[in-house]
Amino acid sequence: MKPKAHSPKRSLVMNASTSRLRRLGAFLGQGFLFSVTSLSTLTVFFIFYFIAKDAFPFFKLEGFREFFTSTHWYPSGHPAEFGAMAIFFGTGLVTLGAVAVSVPLGISAAVCLSDVLPFNTRQIVKPVIEILAAIPSVAYGFFALVVFAPLLQNHGGIVLSTGAWLILTPILSLLVIVLGDLLADRFPEALRRKARWICTLTLGAAALTGMMMLGNHLSAIQIASGTNALNVSIILGIMALPTIVSVSEDALQATGRELREGSYALGATRAETIMKTVIPASLSGILAAVILGVMRAIGETMVVWMASGNASRIPEPWYNMLEPVRTLTATIAGDMGEADHVTGSARFHVLFAMAFCLLTFSFVMNLVSESIVRRSRKKLGK
Amino acid sequence: MRLETRRLLDRAFSSLGLIAIGVMALALVVILTPIIVRGSGAFIFRSTIEHRKVMFDQWDRGNAGRLETAKAEVAAARQPVYDMLAAFNTELDAMPRADRKPYKQSLRDLEKALAGLLGPVPGERTPVLIRQQYGATRWDRTQIKLDDVLTTEEWDYSDPTALGKLVRTPRVEQFRGTKLEPLFPYVEQNIKAMMQPRWTCYWQFLFDTSKDSHIFGGIGPEVLGTIYLTLGAMFFAIPMGVIAAIYLCEYAREGRVISFLRICISTLAGVPSIVFGLFGLAFFLNTIHISDSKSVLAGALTLSLLVLPTVIRASEEAILAVPRAYKEAAMSLGAGRWRTVMTVILPAALPGILTGVVISMGRAAGETAPIIFTAAVSVGRPLLPLEALSQPTPALSWNIYNLCTEHEAVDEIRHVQYGMVFTLVAVVLLLNVFAIIMRARISKKLRG
Repeated sequence: MKPKAHSPKRSLVMNASTSRLRRLGAFLGQGFLFSVTSLSTLTVFFIFYFIAKDAFPFFKLEGFREFFTSTHWYPSGHPAEFGAMAIFFGTGLVTLGAVAVSVPLGISAAVCLSDVLPFNTRQIVKPVIEILAAIPSVAYGFFALVVFAPLLQNHGGIVLSTGAWLILTPILSLLVIVLGDLLADRFPEALRRKARWICTLTLGAAALTGMMMLGNHLSAIQIASGTNALNVSIILGIMALPTIVSVSEDALQATGRELREGSYALGATRAETIMKTVIPASLSGILAAVILGVMRAIGETMVVWMASGNASRIPEPWYNMLEPVRTLTATIAGDMGEADHVTGSARFHVLFAMAFCLLTFSFVMNLVSESIVRRSRKKLGK
Repeated sequence: MRLETRRLLDRAFSSLGLIAIGVMALALVVILTPIIVRGSGAFIFRSTIEHRKVMFDQWDRGNAGRLETAKAEVAAARQPVYDMLAAFNTELDAMPRADRKPYKQSLRDLEKALAGLLGPVPGERTPVLIRQQYGATRWDRTQIKLDDVLTTEEWDYSDPTALGKLVRTPRVEQFRGTKLEPLFPYVEQNIKAMMQPRWTCYWQFLFDTSKDSHIFGGIGPEVLGTIYLTLGAMFFAIPMGVIAAIYLCEYAREGRVISFLRICISTLAGVPSIVFGLFGLAFFLNTIHISDSKSVLAGALTLSLLVLPTVIRASEEAILAVPRAYKEAAMSLGAGRWRTVMTVILPAALPGILTGVVISMGRAAGETAPIIFTAAVSVGRPLLPLEALSQPTPALSWNIYNLCTEHEAVDEIRHVQYGMVFTLVAVVLLLNVFAIIMRARISKKLRG
């Protein structure tokens, strides 16, 4: 077909009817775009509605009290018991563990990325974070179950003490050097050099003995089951890292050059600039990052299902990370297979009730983090 | 504080950050290394004669003549083992009844261990299960099975205060002084002749169906299922996501409605993936009955909702990154808004959009929780495209879970599990590396 040439007769000035037609077309087109957009965004209400619709029958059948206060979880027993407190507790414990792993690590990495590393190195490090974020959760779960859990179970003490050494050695040695230096400052000028040596060495020796004792204590521990809260917390922490790093790095970057340059101009070192100026200015963004990391850890299914041990009871004592736990997501995933042929029973609806709790929690968390980010943006004038 | 102390603090601070990054990189290496190393073992490994037999019998692969000669060699090497067993049986028959008894159970155990290593005894009736028709197909499994033949393992619970202890004794102790005693050194020394290990590249692992619940064969149906699910999810998510992004960037005026829509999108991004799965079950399957049972279609729709926020955000970013001058130039040439979007902005933003799409493809391929209730089954055959509308499928992500937790012979098929994880991770990482490279090129172009 020949390309249609523009007719020379077509006037450049539109008459009223074409103009109206065009406006109508534009209006319709815009309406179409708007409807598609709202359809895709309003899905979230669909999700709320359908989860709630299947969750409320449970509360109608069984009430709220048992669900939130009892730890007896026997959905298939006679009579069935639906005490989910231990499951809520397990979710909380695992999330707390993940936060303990990922927040310190993530924030220091974000600071390093945004303020310490030169541009070229940053370009190398960023893909590492992206790859960590991209690895599917089931692969993390597989690693936790097939590689990490047997390691914990068979060589638990060694793994724990090696981990403690790996984490504490750099931190303690930095602490010893800095403290030694600070202590040496108290001495008169003439003695200072010697004093510094002595202080550093004594502190170092003390730290080393402490570490030895801790290491011995840890390596005596025997772990009964490799699929436990500790395993899951570490893996979830690694999974939440990319979120925390990239969001808090954005927040740190968003504070801008002027603030940093002002601080440097007043004679502050880089550490002082970051600790006293940059981090306070971007605190809300970092908080949002932590919230997003928490949401990632709470919502994760496969890792906890595979490697948490799925025992619905509160560990003894409650902070014992070496006991198996069970989480909301794992319960939903694991019990639905048995429950979906009894649609309509409390056993089916209780899983929706759990999903509803998860959904509400993540919704509230999301609103909080959104409002934090928005407020901080306003404060920074962007 | 002295200047030097401050400098020291500064250094310490920087090194803490560097350590954090080091730990992160270390975690990545620690997680990926076993997956890559052992995962490639599903493709490249030392196969035994049994593997070649399986390939020939079940898939018609390999040279019949060469296999026959190899079989004859192996049979000759294995014959003394069966001869010794036969001799022992006659010796047993000659014994008085009381002496015979203790050997009975030991002999049965030994025969079972030997069948695990070498396959069924030649001349006997072929077993029904395929897994019992062949011996160890891989050299690494051969070592383990050989160990089963040579030693017995027992748990010792005599000390009630400690965990049980594993006691390993050579199996030959049970047969001291009988005609079976020379069997054990014979098997140990001639294992290579009996199994003929050889390096093999089993690339068909990716495409073969599995036989006897993944003990033999490959992961073809799972790979195909993952492809269907991913492409299906993108089929729904791309148009919706790109249109939403165009509307949000180019048409919408900032206001109440738009900020409300944005909150919806970020909420959608924060919904836990298992909740998507439940929603898919409650809505697509139980409410609008999109198919009678779980189906690829329902799974793809669920996954598309999951990746929608990612696609919208990535497309928005790509559209916003198009220089204003492009748009203004198009407008000043008299193009309407629609025409500007279609002819100028979208082509310029396309690489960016594609980057986002590729990343969300990786996400869709790897997600498990949304498809548990909507699309995934443990065992299935490869589906035709049209069947995907109404039938469930195995998928890599789900089968990884299934094989390493619910399979009846978890330890036997470690290589299949690792092979699946390796394939999934490789696919996702390749997609991501592609996206990273593309993004680097775009940013270079935009910087000029």
